[in-house]
Amino acid sequence: MPTPTLTQSIVITFIQCLMVVIFVFVVVPLTVFAERKVLGHLQQRLGSTRVASGHVGFSGWMNRRMWKMGKVPVVSYWRGIPGLVGDVLKLILKEDVIPAKADKFVFFLAPSISMVAAIVVFAAISFVPGTFFTFPTWFPYLGGLPVSGGISDINVGLLWILGVATVGVYGIVLAGWSSNSKYPLLGGLRSAAQMVSYEVPLTLSLLAPVVLSASLNFSEMATRMAVGMPVWALIPQVIGFLLYLTCGFAETNRLPFDMPEAENELVAGFHTEYSGMKFGLFYLAEYINMTVVSALASAFFLGGPWLLPFGLQGLLNPYLPGFLSWFAAPHAIFFVAKIVFLLFTYIWVRGTIPRYRYDQIMAVGWKYLIPLALVNLLLAAAIRCFVV
Amino acid sequence: MEHFIETIGRNMFAIFGVLALVGALLMIGARSAIHSVLGFLFAMLNIAGCFLALEAEFLGVAQILVYAGGIVVLFLFVVMLVEMSKKHEGEVFQLQSRYAVLAVAGGVALFLGVFRKAIFGAPSPEALVLRPELAKGLDVAHQNAQAVSRGLFADYLLPFEILSVILLVALVGAVVLAKTERV
Repeated sequence: MPTPTLTQSIVITFIQCLMVVIFVFVVVPLTVFAERKVLGHLQQRLGSTRVASGHVGFSGWMNRRMWKMGKVPVVSYWRGIPGLVGDVLKLILKEDVIPAKADKFVFFLAPSISMVAAIVVFAAISFVPGTFFTFPTWFPYLGGLPVSGGISDINVGLLWILGVATVGVYGIVLAGWSSNSKYPLLGGLRSAAQMVSYEVPLTLSLLAPVVLSASLNFSEMATRMAVGMPVWALIPQVIGFLLYLTCGFAETNRLPFDMPEAENELVAGFHTEYSGMKFGLFYLAEYINMTVVSALASAFFLGGPWLLPFGLQGLLNPYLPGFLSWFAAPHAIFFVAKIVFLLFTYIWVRGTIPRYRYDQIMAVGWKYLIPLALVNLLLAAAIRCFVV
Repeated sequence: MEHFIETIGRNMFAIFGVLALVGALLMIGARSAIHSVLGFLFAMLNIAGCFLALEAEFLGVAQILVYAGGIVVLFLFVVMLVEMSKKHEGEVFQLQSRYAVLAVAGGVALFLGVFRKAIFGAPSPEALVLRPELAKGLDVAHQNAQAVSRGLFADYLLPFEILSVILLVALVGAVVLAKTERV
């Protein structure tokens, strides 16, 4: 295998960045679309599950048939797609209003900080351990060169992800401050307090995989948590997974923890004064953060690019018959499928559980989640000490 | 092209260093306190970049985690909550500027004394390691989290724990002060 020169490796890194951006910009609009549809089904909202582009094409023919049979066609997966188109068009075309007494520079900076902090996290996330694919030899300039599964699988990948994700707080706080208005300021302060306090149990719940896998490298952790675990290590992982998911919901400001934009109390929280694509960046950042949280959860708890969750894959691998060996190998498609499932869980929870009160959120975070995370960490340390 | 990229790569440290200085200047020169905090944040992120350019990944990421993610957020919080009027802000800053110049001059003299050898002296033939036997079996360039942890938890365990006790004392002291004020 040829080793790439410096310029070639930079070009490859650029291609990887491009792939991540394409991944994000495919997943996010589809999540928004899915959110409308799933919520429509869960809460029996009619529009987002019914509206369609017309009566053309195959699905139009199917729909007409179903109407004729006296049934309401809700099965079509693409019903509601005009809503997505409308969403995107509105974001792009809406007038960009800046409040008269806003701090213009900070007002401009806040959404970009949110967006950049959300997307830079992907630098340390590797979708497959080792090589993702190799360029065919006929490819100009890059022929025969391998492309690794992550942009930069650094030694302290997990810390990088946690560190850069905390920078995202600035986006919300600065947006609240720079709007020069009461509701955004309250929303920004609230969300900063919430995110800073939920970072503690989030990090503590991620320490259990670190202790069990004895590494901070993303792909190494994913590998060891998926195929290198004894049976006993399942216990702290299940608790840790639920803990992590709860804190992840709070970190991404999603229901039932969406304090920064609690509509009935704060209008729209920190982005009340934002419109157009500036609001769009906050919106994008929220969904990218959801994707990142899902990616971490699926890597460390659900087995990452392997098929089975919680290290079951490693236990079952020796018993798999030969023709199933495709399922025993790591594939990026498994990883993406798990991310999509967790994104669905986000929407599912949003449609099911009502919002907490602010004091309840803080009480849950400090009084229950942190002690539970410490117990979970102790359990993981005991398993690491006595079993592994 | 190759040569150009290599030159940039070798001078990453200098680039981040200059950017950090720019951030520090912005922090001092900014009119509004929030802009100062933003300049500080920029400087901190660039110092993290300096560490990354030196292949000290753990230190770089810890810099982002602790300073950019924790301390500067608290600064921002305080500045936002204790919002001063423009006039009052100016008075406070002008009051402090005389002492600030003195403190900076003192600090520069002190640090020049410490770093004189590092800046003007001859480069050392081998990397400076406090206890080489602690790094045994470690590829320090790629496992610097492990290398740092060996230093902290094997060689310097007692000072490290004492430091954390000092932080605890500060925490308890803050709670005590805040409580007595309220009663």
